[in-house]
Amino acid sequence: MHIEIITPEKLLFAGEIKLVKLPGTLGSFEIMENHAPIISTLSKGKIKVKETNGNIVYFEIVGGLVEASNNEIKVLVE
Amino acid sequence: MANLKELRTRIASVKSTQQVTSAMKMVSAAKLRKAQDAIVQMRPYADKLDEILTTVSSNLDSEIENKYAGRKNKERILIVAITSNRGLCGGFNSNVVKKTSELYFQTFNEYSQKGKVDVFALGKKAVDGLKIKGIQVTKGYLDIYEGLNFTTITEITQSIMDGYTLGIYDHVELVYNQFKNAAVQNLVSKQFLPVKISETTEIQSRKGEFKPWYIFEPSMQEIADKIIPQSLKIQFYKAVLDSVASEHGARMTAMHKATDNADVLIRELKLQYNQARQAAITNEILEIVSGANAQLN
Repeated sequence: MHIEIITPEKLLFAGEIKLVKLPGTLGSFEIMENHAPIISTLSKGKIKVKETNGNIVYFEIVGGLVEASNNEIKVLVE
Repeated sequence: MANLKELRTRIASVKSTQQVTSAMKMVSAAKLRKAQDAIVQMRPYADKLDEILTTVSSNLDSEIENKYAGRKNKERILIVAITSNRGLCGGFNSNVVKKTSELYFQTFNEYSQKGKVDVFALGKKAVDGLKIKGIQVTKGYLDIYEGLNFTTITEITQSIMDGYTLGIYDHVELVYNQFKNAAVQNLVSKQFLPVKISETTEIQSRKGEFKPWYIFEPSMQEIADKIIPQSLKIQFYKAVLDSVASEHGARMTAMHKATDNADVLIRELKLQYNQARQAAITNEILEIVSGANAQLN
């Protein structure tokens, strides 16, 4: 599963991951392999990314959007 | 014939000016690369945002309702002129000022007569230039280019968008230099608000294409409500980045020309100098010879 976390200024993170936890507007949720296609708005909070090698990375965000389909995740953050 | 010392000092001064202009050219070239990078960096974000907007609106049955859509009556107009803080970049700034005053005095003449056109100026050159043209600048933003980033630009965009939603302005026009390449900048005046219809027609034409069934959270409408302002902010930010890249491109070209001109000037002056020098020598020899001849006789 591939993820890209993008801000208007730069690419924050890109790589292969196991799971990602996102602060959705309706509550926090996780995306794992073969998740159904989803578009969701994000609110203030932390993104937790677990890479395939087990590394865990966090990103603080104010808000944003996520689109996931075909194991391709794009997170647009502010 | 001009005297030798005068010519020598002129050659020296032209040479030092040439050094300055060629240094400025190099600096601009470096800054241009940085500015271009910023535009490239922003592209994936902007593209994805557009794509999501397209997906959402093609899934939405009705037209997206949004508070940035057009209104029936146009009463107050805002013109946003984007220039730079520094000069020496050819027609870069004066073109924006010219276009802005053309909009002010011709296109929106009936509104400006009634004092219903406001002008925001980004960059010192717009503030100064418009004042000379006799246009009152409502708000000038002078310190945005130091450490330019999305957040500071977004504050301006937000205030403009708030102005629109609160009904202070019914039409917002952007005037700026669009970046084509280092040598070419296109001056454009673009409607910023209300959101243009042409974009929605493009979306409609893509309706019916196969799309995966997305889960929308919280709802399509709410996602659209979030994307539209964000995409406006991106548009505005892109205009500013374009303007910055254009500024450095324009300055680079201007300085390149100035350096070339200095070369021509130096060549001409050197020719004059050598002619004057030769004339002086000939004169001296003539004097010596005629002096010697006088002695002989």
